[in-house]
Amino acid sequence: MKLIGISGTNVDDSATTLLLNFIKKEFSSLAEIEIIDIRQLPLFNESIEIGTSQLVQDISQTIAEADGVIISTSEHNRSIPSALNSFIEWMSFKEHPFNNKPVMIIGTSIRVQGSSSAQLHLRQILDAPGVDALVLPGNEFLLGSSASTFDEQNNLKDTSTIKFLQSCFKNFLHFIQAAEFLNASEEVHFEPGEYQVSAIGHNGKLPMTITVSEKRIEKIEIDTKNETKGIADTVFKRIPEQIVSAQTLNIDVVSGASVTSHGVIDGVAEAIDLAGGDAAVLKRRPKPQKAMEQDPLELTTDVVVVGGGGAGLSAAACVLKAKRQVVVVEKFPSIGGNTIRTGGPMNAADPEWQGTFDALSGEAATLEEVLSQDEKQIDEEYRNDFKDLRKQIKDYLQNGNNKLFDSILWHRIQTYLGGKRTDLNGNEIHGQYELVKILTNKALESVKWLEDIGVEFDPNEVSMPVGAKWRRGHKPLKNQGYAYISALQDFINNQGGKILTDVPVQELLIEEGTIKGVIGRNAEGRCVVIHAKSVVLASGGFGANTKMIQKYNTYWTKIDDAIATSNSPAITGDGIKLGESVNAALVGMGFTQMMPVSDPVTGELFTGLQVPPANYVMVNKEGERFVDEYESRDVLTQAAIDNGSLFYLIADDKIKETAYNTSQQKIDEQVAAGTLYRADSLAELAQQIGIDPDTFVDTITKYNSYADMGNDPEFGKEVFDLKVQVAPFYATPRKPAMHHTMGGLKIDSNTHVLNKDGVIIDNLYAAGEVAGGIHAGNRLGGNSLTDIFTFGRIAGMMAVKGITDK
Amino acid sequence: MINLIGIVGTGAVESTNRKLLQYMKRNFSTQATIEIYELTNLPFFDKPVSQTAPEIIARLSQKIVEADGVIISTPEYDHTIPAALASLLEWFAYTTQPLRDKPVMITGASYGVLGTSRAQSHLRQILNAPELSGLLMPGREYLLGGSLQAFTAAGELTDVAKKEELDRYFGDFMQFIAKNR
Ligand SMILES: Cc1cc2nc3c(=O)[nH]c(=O)nc-3n(C[C@H](O)[C@H](O)[C@H](O)COP(=O)(O)OP(=O)(O)OC[C@H]3O[C@@H](n4cnc5c(N)ncnc54)[C@H](O)[C@@H]3O)c2cc1C
Ligand SMILES: Cc1cc2nc3c(=O)[nH]c(=O)nc-3n(C[C@H](O)[C@H](O)[C@H](O)COP(=O)(O)O)c2cc1C
Repeated sequence: MKLIGISGTNVDDSATTLLLNFIKKEFSSLAEIEIIDIRQLPLFNESIEIGTSQLVQDISQTIAEADGVIISTSEHNRSIPSALNSFIEWMSFKEHPFNNKPVMIIGTSIRVQGSSSAQLHLRQILDAPGVDALVLPGNEFLLGSSASTFDEQNNLKDTSTIKFLQSCFKNFLHFIQAAEFLNASEEVHFEPGEYQVSAIGHNGKLPMTITVSEKRIEKIEIDTKNETKGIADTVFKRIPEQIVSAQTLNIDVVSGASVTSHGVIDGVAEAIDLAGGDAAVLKRRPKPQKAMEQDPLELTTDVVVVGGGGAGLSAAACVLKAKRQVVVVEKFPSIGGNTIRTGGPMNAADPEWQGTFDALSGEAATLEEVLSQDEKQIDEEYRNDFKDLRKQIKDYLQNGNNKLFDSILWHRIQTYLGGKRTDLNGNEIHGQYELVKILTNKALESVKWLEDIGVEFDPNEVSMPVGAKWRRGHKPLKNQGYAYISALQDFINNQGGKILTDVPVQELLIEEGTIKGVIGRNAEGRCVVIHAKSVVLASGGFGANTKMIQKYNTYWTKIDDAIATSNSPAITGDGIKLGESVNAALVGMGFTQMMPVSDPVTGELFTGLQVPPANYVMVNKEGERFVDEYESRDVLTQAAIDNGSLFYLIADDKIKETAYNTSQQKIDEQVAAGTLYRADSLAELAQQIGIDPDTFVDTITKYNSYADMGNDPEFGKEVFDLKVQVAPFYATPRKPAMHHTMGGLKIDSNTHVLNKDGVIIDNLYAAGEVAGGIHAGNRLGGNSLTDIFTFGRIAGMMAVKGITDK
Repeated sequence: MINLIGIVGTGAVESTNRKLLQYMKRNFSTQATIEIYELTNLPFFDKPVSQTAPEIIARLSQKIVEADGVIISTPEYDHTIPAALASLLEWFAYTTQPLRDKPVMITGASYGVLGTSRAQSHLRQILNAPELSGLLMPGREYLLGGSLQAFTAAGELTDVAKKEELDRYFGDFMQFIAKNR
């Protein structure tokens, strides 16, 4: 008998927790009780999911698998503590693990009446439709005057109280057996045939055909041509398989693709109802059985790579090129990480190619600034390069060349200057010279290497990704970030490499004091042990781990608990923690990069109306402008944080036309969904977003007059295009979202991970966003891809060299 | 002019309870000013030993002490009030106690037909706890069911009867404040 214990409080050393611990100990011969810490979850908010969804699912799963739950509650203000309330909200929102679960309520209070009112509330709450627990009737256990009821060993003092508790507990165990009858599977009957429904996917509707016989769901076919490639593929395969094989709709969503997962499950539910069945019955059925194999799955290889993003896959490809065996272990059901989310441009100076494009106005001025910059401000190790760069620039400007300039040194110096920052404590940081040198020297080689693997770049466009500062981006011809992942995946599969998905690595395998592989767990819950001679950590950064960002942050004045992220939810700093478990040194952890103009809920960039910055009009929650909209990402982000994070991008009908991310259909859908606001007058728009109409109209009138003058006396905006004057008007809610984490494991130029004494940790390598030291305080847009493919390759080669040298 | 503080009982981005308070703010602007407060960004109650209120709670408490009354508009989650609102009330009870003898009006909007009746009855019991001691009008409640359809795009209440009911309730609340001065 396996029970879950929940202490409904967030107070340390509370009697409520003592009581639960006492039950666990006292009745251990009758049942195994696992206590779940509800304090892991933040205050419930239906608008935040990111960063918590995995945890919520994990906890929900634990509860769902248990035979019963004991909830111990304190009483706050005649009701249950908000901590317990919040926990139950999480457990009744997307997940519903309490459904038909036997629950026993116990409670304490410092007053004599001992949580009686809280317990009554809790009964009502557990009875609510989204919770639907089976609460043990009677057996009300109230422990009043709780402070004095435990002895020094935290045992209950009073024997008659213990007796009563024991009888309640035994009644609960009987109740659990009785509940099994209630949960026995209910029959279903369908009208056999094919049913057409359409489910809501990430990018619109998904037509599905569901075939049922009299008693069973026989087949689920989904038309997926409109869905994002890669990310949701697993959903379309796994969820239909599970539904058909287990004949249940009580299916776990696929991590990282919850919208699409729910879309498929809801679509099947709709078809079941159409077929005259009752989807609710199928949702109540148990989840598909996971094969609980006792023995770990063991594999042996030369090199194991943790993480199937760009860094990990390029490391693996290099291992295969050196004729060694490799296993890539990926946490999520599909590979790609953040790399698959990129727009694709990768920085590499290729003067010959770039010299075929005309220079743009303003570029010469940027180069001239280098000539006038004070050399003493350049850190010593970069100074010689800086001098040489100046010579190159002088030559270029003197020759009156009207073609695009670039050089490895210019890339290097821009990377260095772009990354130089000072944090809130006055600590300065800039990129480590050796690493920045390798990055810029080998960038073009990485582009060529990728071409060789099968990535096709667009020869006709030299792009400048957001925040890149110069046009040196090589852009895949098709499919953006997916282009890299698909080419590398094909290469690895064809060369006999192995990619294990759905296996988060949880520990390094250590034998006799040295690293000998990794340990993870697969989707069936089975332990996976991979023995290897070298381990490459390539698990990405920690942009989706708000707690970790808050812990290390020294750059931003505030990191909101509810901050959204543009990252994959898998990017939670796992590799950094693995490194720390073997005393690895960390570098630059306090510096992170945010995207100021992101969706407040999903962190996505491409919702609402995204227009060129000349047409940005940003107003805060008071309806006032607060910053020069043309400022850099950093400045916009800090200004937004200072104004409470949430702000609006205002547009009129003409500015709307300059949006590069959307279509009229998407706009209408978003207005209907309430994620974008539209109104025929400015005052009405103000009312919709809850700001004072007079202030708002005044703000826009002023902005328009500045646009007329071409100068903004309030915030100094200098670049204007359109005014806000033609109805209908739009407001896109925005918030800064976490985008990139610059800090990470400290590595040397051969990607060996270093320990806190600066000594190489044997057999351990790291590459990509998991490593720090390169981008320092700020990463140039387009430099990450260069980083991961350059250092990913080095890590692969060094991991092999480490083996051959021994 | 009467000064009131309106509290939106949820931190959700989209809330019909926020719409209801915004409607009241506009509609009753000749009788009272209503300043609306949000639960977003409030810290999760954790019973700190120091018993001192975080800055943001202290500021809101001060506003409440200075105001003539408070309107709380609550959603219903799982037959009770949202944890975010419960957390705010825990801070109040444990630190500043600003609701003591303060007139409080309760409203609620929910998607379903019952219009938060259970959440409101819990909220009444909670506000009656000795450490909160809010002053509640007996026998009055305002339950806005079907709240997703209850407002026009401009934020007006669609149903005339519901509008009039709210006018009456608010009028009573004004008198209740006057009597309790
Ligand atoms: C929306 C977006 C757009 C971007 N655009 C650009 C751009 O245009 N140009 C540019 O240069 N950079 C861009 N970046 C930054 C860039 O994408 C990343 O810095 C880079 O992809 C990191 O590569 P990586 O291989 O180190 O990590 P990732 O690609 O993130 O891969 C890490 C992998 O490790 C897996 N993993 C994590 N933990 C574990 C574990 N415990 N066990 C096993 N596997 C694990 C993850 O699931 C993931 O698949 C963008 C980032 C985002 C989020
Ligand atoms: C976790 C959770 C539990 C809910 N439980 C209930 C409930 O018990 N009764 C109810 O009428 N509505 C319930 N709802 C839906 C609410 O009616 C709705 O979200 C809210 O009351 C409407 O107010 P709002 O628009 O201000 O959020 C629940 C919603 C959530 C997210």
